[in-house]
This record gives sequence, structure tokens and C-alpha cells, in this order.
Amino acid sequence: MFDQKGQIRIIESFLAIAVVFSAVLVSATFPSAPDLSKQESLASIGTQALIKLDTNGTLGNMILGQLWCDIKTALDILLPVGVSFNLTIYDETGHLVNSEVIQNSNLLGREAVSVQYLCSTRSQTVHFFVVRLQMAWMG
Amino acid sequence: MIILALSSIVGTTKLMTPYLTDLAHRDDADRFQYLASHLLLTAGTPTNWGQLISTTPSSLGLAKCDTLQPYELDIDKVTRLNNENIYSLDYSDLWQALGMKDVSFQIEIKPLFQLSIELASDSTQGSQRVYEFKIVARKSGMPLSTNLNSYVILKDFINETASSTSSDGFGTIKIGIPNSLNGTALLLVFAQAMVNPQMVSVGVYPFGHNLQTPLPNGAFTRLSPLNYVLNASLKYATVEVSKAQVFTFNYNFSLSIKTQGAQIIEYNIPRLLDASPMVMVLTGVNGSTSFAEFVPYPQVPLQIGADFSESIAGSRIAVYRYTATVDSALYEVVTRWGGLSDNV
Repeated sequence: MFDQKGQIRIIESFLAIAVVFSAVLVSATFPSAPDLSKQESLASIGTQALIKLDTNGTLGNMILGQLWCDIKTALDILLPVGVSFNLTIYDETGHLVNSEVIQNSNLLGREAVSVQYLCSTRSQTVHFFVVRLQMAWMG
Repeated sequence: MIILALSSIVGTTKLMTPYLTDLAHRDDADRFQYLASHLLLTAGTPTNWGQLISTTPSSLGLAKCDTLQPYELDIDKVTRLNNENIYSLDYSDLWQALGMKDVSFQIEIKPLFQLSIELASDSTQGSQRVYEFKIVARKSGMPLSTNLNSYVILKDFINETASSTSSDGFGTIKIGIPNSLNGTALLLVFAQAMVNPQMVSVGVYPFGHNLQTPLPNGAFTRLSPLNYVLNASLKYATVEVSKAQVFTFNYNFSLSIKTQGAQIIEYNIPRLLDASPMVMVLTGVNGSTSFAEFVPYPQVPLQIGADFSESIAGSRIAVYRYTATVDSALYEVVTRWGGLSDNV
């Protein structure tokens, strides 16, 4: 009788240990909270950069003038350090406009966000462009 | 058995505590971002609190009140964030106006790119001394091509020189000043990014001409621009101002006196459409010492708010960067947010 009780206690002990370890394992797999210092919203930053670049129709005129290098430099200045970007421009019919790649580094393998912005030229013949800006944090 | 059960409870609680704490703060990022946007997209109350010298806003917003553009800030609201201005607000005023008792914050406003000025050489050539300055334009280390417009001011002498920085960010400015003059001279350099005329940065380099060391800015006057009026408080009764001028990338004008009192002079600042910060320069004498002192308008760079640099490791600080317009020129606005325990 006593031996049977002892065996049950041992089984209970093992079960308790199993409960403790399973609790540890389950806790460890919970996702941790995001690091707020890195939680700058890239989409918001990108949209805002495009809005500011387009003040007074500047962006539309740069696209019309095919100033791809100038657009890249302007985005380098407007976007924070550590942001990789790739800008693609389409016309009203969805055809690719930029003949050169507008990017500061490759986005491959990074978690990217994408924003779209509609801009126009301020000329007698108004042209519309859809600007797609993809961004990701470097490193 | 009891020990096992207790250790299980304690262990689980210890492991779960950080997660539960994280749960309580999981919406902080969204909340802080909303607050940052609110700060830059609303005008506050009253909507023209920037111009009202004796008014502390009851709600905080830095946007220009009648603007159609998002992220266009009021020049005076920005200027009142600078503690060098006599009309500035302190952090406790701003914190109360924000109305979020559990949040501490910091606002930093600066030009989109940095300009550094260095005296490369100086030599006497005939009746003048020729100075050569090295200018470097960079954005976080990235060199920038810019158009430069520089002014040298010494007493009534003004020299304007146009130049540029090349793709490596470097440029030079050479100016000659007559040897008949002496005193503290100022070199103002306005740099405009070639890709966008709204991206402008300004640098000021004081140097002594026929003088060993230049006098520090603010030695004789305290200059505070607000509501397109420059308040010049003279620190000594013996200070005499001979000229007050305003400089931008494209223009420079003499300022007209609005009011004059005992040791206080007010000047009217013109409303210019130039996409450039303005720099006001006062020249004058105190006894036999001539001086040249300056203040930018909007009065940036500036930083006000909680000091997060002393926050303990691992504390939660959210940083949001924006590009904002102040009087047609673009600036970088960095806002930092944290809980009240981080610092006030």
C-alpha cells in the first residue's frame, strides 16, 4: 500500500516537473513586444517625403525632365539615414516611366513597405504619374 | 510537492511578467505616432499663439493656422520653442498644453542637411586681407551638391560671393576685407541643394579681422525675432547699434526701426518669399570695440523637452521624424516620446 502511494507521488512529481517545463517553454515562445525605438512608420515617412518633394509641382516636373538622379538625391536628403528605397514611376496607363533604377540600395531580403502617391505636372498639358516608393530599414 | 507547485507558480510569473508589461504598452507606438502627427498638423489654441507674446497655448500644435499644406509649421511657434528667444516657452508650458499627463516628449528642429565652415588660409594681399574658407555640405555623412551664397559683414562692409559645393560636398569661398577695418566679422553661408531649392541650410562663422579672437555671439545684445519684429535688448548702456540687416539666400536688406527705448530697439522684419531662413545681423560698437551679432529666423536649430539621453537602458522611447515646411524652406523635425517615468 505504502509502495503504491510512493509510486504515485513519484509520478506526480514528474507530472509537476512537466507542468513547470511546459510553462517555461510556452512562455518563451510568446512574442515579445516590438522595440518602439525602431517603430517609426516607414509608410508615413515615405508619404511625407513625397508630399514635401512635390511641393509646387517639383516632383512632377522632375519626372517630366527625366531627372532620375536628382529625384534619388532628393529622397536621400528627405528620408532618414538607414532607409533603403526603390522608387518606380508609372504613367496614367500604367506604363513604367523611369528609364533608370531610382534606388539607394537593394531591398532584397528585407521587410519592405510600399506607398503610392499620385502627382501631376504644373504645365499647360497636365501629366499624371503614379509614384510607388518601396522602403525598408537597412541592417 | 508544495515546493514544486510554488516554484512552478513563481517561475511562470517571472517569465510572464515582461510579457504582461509589454501588453500594457503595446499600443504606445500608435499612440505616440498619433501625438507626433497631432503636434505637427494642428495649430493649437489659440491658433495664432506663436505671435501672441504673453500667451501660453492651452492646447499644443505647431502648424500654421491658415495653411493648405500638411506639415507646414508656423515660423513664430517654432521660434518660441528656442530658449534663446526672450518670448520662448519652457517645457512645462508645452507639456501642460499637450495635455497628456503620462507622456514626456522632446522636439528637435534642424536643417535638412549640415553645413560646416572652416578657415583654410588667410594672407595679406595689397591693402586687404584675403580669407579662404572651406565649406562642406553633408546630410548624415552623404556629400551634397549645393549652390552657395555667402556674405561677409564687418561694420558697414558687406561682401557677397556666390559659389558651390561639388558632388563630393566640398566648396571654397574666397573673400578680401580691407586692412583699414578691424573687429569681429561674420561669414554667413547659405547653401541650397541643387536638386531642390527648398532644401536650404545656413552656417555662420564669426572670425576676427585684425583682431586676435572674435567676440562670442550675444556678448552685447540679445536678439529675439517674433511676429516679424526683431527685439534687440542691449546688454550695456554704452552699446551703440550702427546697422541692422536681414540676409537670405537671394536677398539682403537693412531693417527699419519700429520702436526705440532705453536699451531696447525693435526692428521690422520684411516678409520675404525667398525659400530660405533669414539671418538678422546687428553691427555696432561698445566703446572702442566693434561687434557683429546674429540670430536666425526661424530660430533653429533647436531642441526642447525631456532629456532622453539619460534614460535608463531598455526604456521605451519612440522616435518619429518628419520633414516640415517653415516659410517655404524645408526642415527636419524629430520628435521623441516616452512614458513620464523616462524623464520630465
